[in-house]
This record gives sequence, structure tokens and C-alpha cells, in this order.
Amino acid sequence: MVRINDVGGMQGFPPVQQELDEPAFHADWEAHVFAINRALRDRGIYNVHEFRDAIERIPPQDYLASSYYERWLHAITTLLVEKGVLTAAEVSGGEAEVADG
Amino acid sequence: MSADHSGAQATVAARVRHLEGLLEQRGLIDPAELDRALAAFLAKASPANGARLVARAWLDDGFRARLLADANAALPDLGLSMGGGPQEQRLKVVENTEDYHNVIVCTLCSCYPIALLGPSPTWYKSEAYRSRVVRDPRAVLAEFGYQLDPSVHINVWDASAESRYMVLPRRPAGTDELDETSLAALVTRNGLIGVAPV
Amino acid sequence: MADAFRVGDRVRTSQIDPAHHTRLPDYARGAIGTVIESQGSYPRPDDLARRLPAEPEPVYAVRFRAAELFGDGEHTITVDLWQSYLRRAQEEAG
Repeated sequence: MVRINDVGGMQGFPPVQQELDEPAFHADWEAHVFAINRALRDRGIYNVHEFRDAIERIPPQDYLASSYYERWLHAITTLLVEKGVLTAAEVSGGEAEVADG
Repeated sequence: MSADHSGAQATVAARVRHLEGLLEQRGLIDPAELDRALAAFLAKASPANGARLVARAWLDDGFRARLLADANAALPDLGLSMGGGPQEQRLKVVENTEDYHNVIVCTLCSCYPIALLGPSPTWYKSEAYRSRVVRDPRAVLAEFGYQLDPSVHINVWDASAESRYMVLPRRPAGTDELDETSLAALVTRNGLIGVAPV
Repeated sequence: MADAFRVGDRVRTSQIDPAHHTRLPDYARGAIGTVIESQGSYPRPDDLARRLPAEPEPVYAVRFRAAELFGDGEHTITVDLWQSYLRRAQEEAG
């Protein structure tokens, strides 16, 4: 089943937009996502192939609407829940905090 | 690319903080360790590394040949490596010539020789680049302001497996008097990916 | 596992579009290309993503002409492919 990440040759995308002198991370949270992923992989919670697979399984509309590190965050939380490290309720507990605060 | 509204960003930031809190409680991450890993990554990985390889190859034909034949074996000459993970990544350096131009992509995700080029730019990871460069590389290069002569053949490398690719650009004319450091300063990240001449 | 292919061999990529993670891009499915390099052996991501046992398998750089993949273009595209994504090409004569 062709997945949304498999875009080689796909039509309709716009001209390439280059951001000159862009930083490695556009916000602190992106750097944290990068580091969390590194730590979880190093601990063997999941491997890079499972990680890519989880990104590829993001629903297409969500994938296209998400930034690069938003996709990483999506994949990390998916894997943590699928592997029973965290529950879905625990993960989305953060969203409830934001809604209340 | 999601809308960059401060509200949406604050939400994501809060989600990440929440996730970190949970993982810390479980003993799966240690914030000090995260900071150290991040600093190490940012400090060592830079396009200056790739640029040094290019400058050495321009000056030393023997090194150039070794770099093209077995890049991993040549990297230690400059104190560089593709290591850092459990298994060293295979590096393949591909040479631009008068007749032949190389450009690198990972259509399936964002594979890239981070050790030699630093963190990848957002455009490299974009659907716009990944979808279009395999289909019309000449047009994509033109979007970067690079009008490649029509007689030059383009090969696009799709890094779909375990090899990571870096372009060896052509040495610019009029640089005979420059030393290795000055030559390295001419080399850009875009040149190492293949969307610029150097 | 021994290399099934050598540099210069013409190979055809699988037409199969699996439900699982794989590293054969759709644009290069069911296409004929030329092996330009043997890159060593690695376990398949298809298996590692599902935590299945995975023996290292040869990986090759395979070069395709844009015209054969897309119907136009003068350029070539080289894709790195696991051996099980490939068969020896039986090309029609003439």
C-alpha cells in the first residue's frame, strides 16, 4: 500500500522554498524531540525502521499538514503507546493540561 | 508545513514537555543526558567537514581517488568518520565533471550524511524537493538559481538504503593560488548536495 | 547470502506494493535498470520494522533512465535496492 511519504515523482507540489541560514531547530521543542528520539533508540525501545514505519503510517492528511519534527513527535508517541511504554491516556494528558491552562 | 501560529507552537511545545515528563518518570530519559547529546550532535556535525574533504580532494589526486573508491576508508585522513551510531554508515562520494552532474535526495524520508553536512535543511526534507527532483532535476536546480548547461548529464541519487551520498563539486576556475583552507571556504552545503555548482 | 547480481546486470524491480514498510519507491516499481554498484549486505528494513528475523541481504545501486520511469527526461536516477526487490531482467528482443 503506497504510503504518503513515498512522494518521488508525485505531481502537484510547489517550487522548492529555501530558507537561507536556517537554524538546525526552529524551536526548542524540536531539539527536544530530536534528543528524545535519540535516547529512545539508544535504549532499544524502537529501531530506526520502526520509527520510519510509524512516520509513514501517519494519516496522509495529517502527514502533509505536519512539520518535520511534528511527524517525529507523532511517530514517537505512536510507538510508545503501541509498545505499551505509555498509555494513550497518559500521552494525551498533556493536551488536557493545555486546554485547561 | 504546519501554520506557524504561536498558539499551535505553544501546544506542541507543551505536548513535548508533557512527554518528557512522562519519560523521565519512567527513567527512560535524563534531561542532562539529552542536553549533552544535542550539544555533541550540533558541535561535530557541520558542512565544514564535507568542505574539507572536497578541498583535500581538489589538491591531492591520490586522496581524491581513494575518496571516490572507498570514502569511509579515506575519512580518517582528516580525522572524520561517519560513526556515532551502532554501525558506521557507508559513505559514497560522487564526482561532478564537465559532462556529468550529481544531485542527492531521499525521496522516502530524509536520509543525509549529517556527520559531514550538519543537520539537513528543511527544503531537503520537503515534499516539494523529494517529489520533483527525481522527475525534473534541471527545473529544481533552476529554482536554486543554478542553470546547468543542457549538455551536462544529471544523475539523481535516491538514498533509499544504507549508503549516504555527498557530491564532490568541480573546483572553480581561478583558484590555483588558494590554499586548502581557502578552498574549503568556497564549498557550500548546497554544493555538497548538488543543487549548487560548489 | 551471495550476491545474485553483478555490476552491469540488467534487473527488474518488483511490481508488488506490500502493506508493510519497504524501501523500494513506488516510482521505481516494475522498472528495468542497470546494477552499477554492489554496496554490501544489510538486513531488510521490511523485516526490521516488524521485528522479524532478518539475515543480511545484498544491496545494489541500480540506475534507471528517467524516460523509462516517467516517459520523459534525459537524466538518470540511481536507487539503492535490496536484492529481494530485484529479478534478473528478461528483456524483449528488438
